[in-house]
Amino acid sequence: MGTIRVRFIIVALVVSFFAVGMAAFLNYFKYKSTISGIVKSRVLVIGRNIENSVQASLQVGLQFMELGTMNQLLAREKASDRLIRGIDVFDHTGQVIYSTDRSRVGEKVPNAWTEAAARAKSTEWSTETPDEHIAGISLKNNFDLTVGYLAMRYSADEVDRAAKIAGREILLASIISFLGIALVAPLALIVVIRRFERDLRALEAAASHLEDRADQPMPAAGSAFDAAIGNLRSSLREANVALDDLRARLDAAG
Amino acid sequence: MLEKNYLWRIYWRLAGVIMVCVVIALAAVSYFSHRVFDRELVPETEQKAATVGASVRALTLKATSYGIDFSQLYGVEQTFAEVFEENPEFAYMAITNTDGNVLYARGSEPVGARSHFRNPVVLQIAHEPGEVSKAARVGQQYIVSVPINDGGTPLGVLHVGIDAAFVDHVLLEVLLDVVVVLVVSLFFTLELLNFMAGARLASGLGEFARQVDRMRSGDFTATARIRANDEIGRLLRRIDSAIDHLNVRYEFLVGELQDKLRSATGERRESLKPAQQALEQIGKRFRFGSAPEGSDSDEMNLNRIRAPLFAFILAEELTRSYLPSYVNQLLVAIPGVSPQVVIGLPIMLFMLIVALGQPYLGSWSERVGRRKAMLVGAIMATVGFTGTALAYNLYDLILWRSLCALGYAMVFVAAQGYVLDRTGQQNRAQGFALFIGAIMVATVCGPSIGGILADNIGYRASFGVSALMALVSILAINRLPTNEVKTAAQRPTRGPRMREIMALIVNRRFMTLTGLAAMPAKIILTGVCFYLVPLYIVSIGNTSAMAGRMLMVYAVMMVLIVPLSASLSDATMRRDRYVSIGLIISGLSGLLLLLSDSFLVLFGVVFLLGLGQALSIAAQSALVAEHCQEEIRIYGNDAVYGVYRLLERLGNALGPLIASLLVILWGYQGSFVALSALVLFCGIAFTIATHGTEWQGEPAHP
Repeated sequence: MGTIRVRFIIVALVVSFFAVGMAAFLNYFKYKSTISGIVKSRVLVIGRNIENSVQASLQVGLQFMELGTMNQLLAREKASDRLIRGIDVFDHTGQVIYSTDRSRVGEKVPNAWTEAAARAKSTEWSTETPDEHIAGISLKNNFDLTVGYLAMRYSADEVDRAAKIAGREILLASIISFLGIALVAPLALIVVIRRFERDLRALEAAASHLEDRADQPMPAAGSAFDAAIGNLRSSLREANVALDDLRARLDAAG
Repeated sequence: MLEKNYLWRIYWRLAGVIMVCVVIALAAVSYFSHRVFDRELVPETEQKAATVGASVRALTLKATSYGIDFSQLYGVEQTFAEVFEENPEFAYMAITNTDGNVLYARGSEPVGARSHFRNPVVLQIAHEPGEVSKAARVGQQYIVSVPINDGGTPLGVLHVGIDAAFVDHVLLEVLLDVVVVLVVSLFFTLELLNFMAGARLASGLGEFARQVDRMRSGDFTATARIRANDEIGRLLRRIDSAIDHLNVRYEFLVGELQDKLRSATGERRESLKPAQQALEQIGKRFRFGSAPEGSDSDEMNLNRIRAPLFAFILAEELTRSYLPSYVNQLLVAIPGVSPQVVIGLPIMLFMLIVALGQPYLGSWSERVGRRKAMLVGAIMATVGFTGTALAYNLYDLILWRSLCALGYAMVFVAAQGYVLDRTGQQNRAQGFALFIGAIMVATVCGPSIGGILADNIGYRASFGVSALMALVSILAINRLPTNEVKTAAQRPTRGPRMREIMALIVNRRFMTLTGLAAMPAKIILTGVCFYLVPLYIVSIGNTSAMAGRMLMVYAVMMVLIVPLSASLSDATMRRDRYVSIGLIISGLSGLLLLLSDSFLVLFGVVFLLGLGQALSIAAQSALVAEHCQEEIRIYGNDAVYGVYRLLERLGNALGPLIASLLVILWGYQGSFVALSALVLFCGIAFTIATHGTEWQGEPAHP
């Protein structure tokens, strides 16, 4: 197989690898972000229930720091979805005021939580730790002032497990597609570059007979280089004829 | 040239075949992905529907707990509407009583829903306690049914319908990115064909064509070149061998004649005269011996610049679509400076460093060597990209971006010098086509792929990819020839002097071109493409990938239109008209946002901007030589073009600054409109200024 043909096939394989790889990458990340979004919005539905209860309490004049039924409400909502590991409510300093896990009350939440809440353009915010995802809602009073933050911690396992399964299947589909291309592309390329290779062969064949002294010009091979080959041969022939003439005159001189 | 067209025909055929294969592969991946999405996402969405259902059920039960009759509830449909707003994948919601009759409903009811609700299995759900939910496929929806049960008393069933086509909608979003991948793949294919095979083929066939021409003109001088071990290399070796044989024969005949002449006297000498005459004739018609050194073309080495340049520029272009959003994320308050201006600061600083650095880095790269200068620049940029990926806040980000800018300027100037060093008058345009081609392909591929990466792996990891690309460019630069090419006639380049800058910026003819055409074109380019588009797209709820697609539209327009407009403007010699039309089209682009702020209109803005820039860009610099001949005579070509490029690049730096100030005053849309209006004004002023006879003959002011 000619080196040029090999190079063309390598190009086809590199480009196919890039395209299939990118498609697999895009599908995998789309799947992951979609499933993360679905799970997060599912958790936020529960968060909205809590938010509505808090706002109803604030509307009747209760103080945010003194919501007596809050811990029971959080426990009830946590129990409504097995995905949720715990629910915390913290103030603007990051100190936990209410929680489904009593030991967390009074502790500080990680800075990333308060930063994510502060950075968010809407009332919803989210952040991640290696083993947990956190979906949050900024709690506002009637005057649209943020009084605290609700954070629902849920396991990353569900998303990770689903992403792993999907990732494996997408990868498998991509490998099969790539292998299919690796088989088909070289064959298709060989068909397409046949004409080019024929031209090159004609050129090479003509070049191997460059020094033939036949007076007849070589028959045209129908290649793109016929004119160039013709020129090459006639130039060489002219030079050889001139040198032959010189030889003849030298010989004639004895 | 025959061989160039010939090769390009082959490239396009190969690219066509590769694209067909890629499309089939992408279709296969998409099909399998759809199956996975369908199988995995639907159950997850059903669980979500159950949670939403439980929330709505709680509201219903709260109302009935106040004594309101279950069939007389108020505002249920409105609650359903709110649920639809937050969950677009839900298409239908209904509450049925224990007989399966619909009491409340909203959305598009699937075919067969009524009979499904009356199905005994579904009716039984109302009697089941707890959090049980059941899902079934009804028509084009998956219906999730949740019992409404008041402390053991069944009231009815809540049904949530999930649109079965929602998976298609999710995949449709991926499809847009897949189309981008296809376009990028096409450009990658052409680039790789050129890099892996084409460079050698083109130089080989070019060498063959030159050899044919040389031999036709009677030049049979031998060249001592090392030929590649491929089809073209073997062919050239055969031609070399034929020439060598001719030379040997010639040398032998000349030697024999000289020997005979030395020993011959009288009549014998006379008999050698015909041979002497024949040798004289051969001397007139043909040339034998060794080819003079340096006559060899350096086309192969010239082509080798394309790969490192492409990889390096791609590293920077990858960041275009998401850099402003990343800066926004790392923003710190700077007293007295608006956040909008601060977001534009790293882009502005980058452009400023490139603008001010380039004139002086040219002579530096000449001194230290092009390859070394490129290596230093690429290493600096790699460090810069890595630092940007790890940036703590805006302050160190600015430092890292400055390093990237310095590296960019070094590589750009050194690569430009590399091309200049290896081309002569005959092939300089071809050399620069190669240079600009690498940049344009990187401009098409970079922002779109960068946007996709940023959306999926995050800004920091995407900068990591840029660092990796810059690292790849170092490896490619390392493969460039270590010997520098310096022709004796070549003058050292120098940056423009302050005296020249001052004289030219008060020169009316020069400033008509620079101030009314070149600078506004660059201001709108960087202001709109590098600053406004990435930020505005994200501000209206779109992604960085979409910003990348937009920027790709601009780049594709440039790739398609620039060669056409360049040849047309050269052929008609009405370059000023092309500049005028280009500026006016660019100026009209942003005004489209006065009609609507829709996404399609923004597409139109970028499309028109690309068209306008493509029409004017090639003609602009050619106009300098055409209309500033007097200035070139006085200050020299280097000085006039040096000042022109400097001011043009200052326009690059001003773009984000002006755009950010306009955003403070009038918001994003206002900024688009105002920038465009400025360019439209400049376009009209340029048209008026270049209309008439005095434009041709105004003297320079030394």
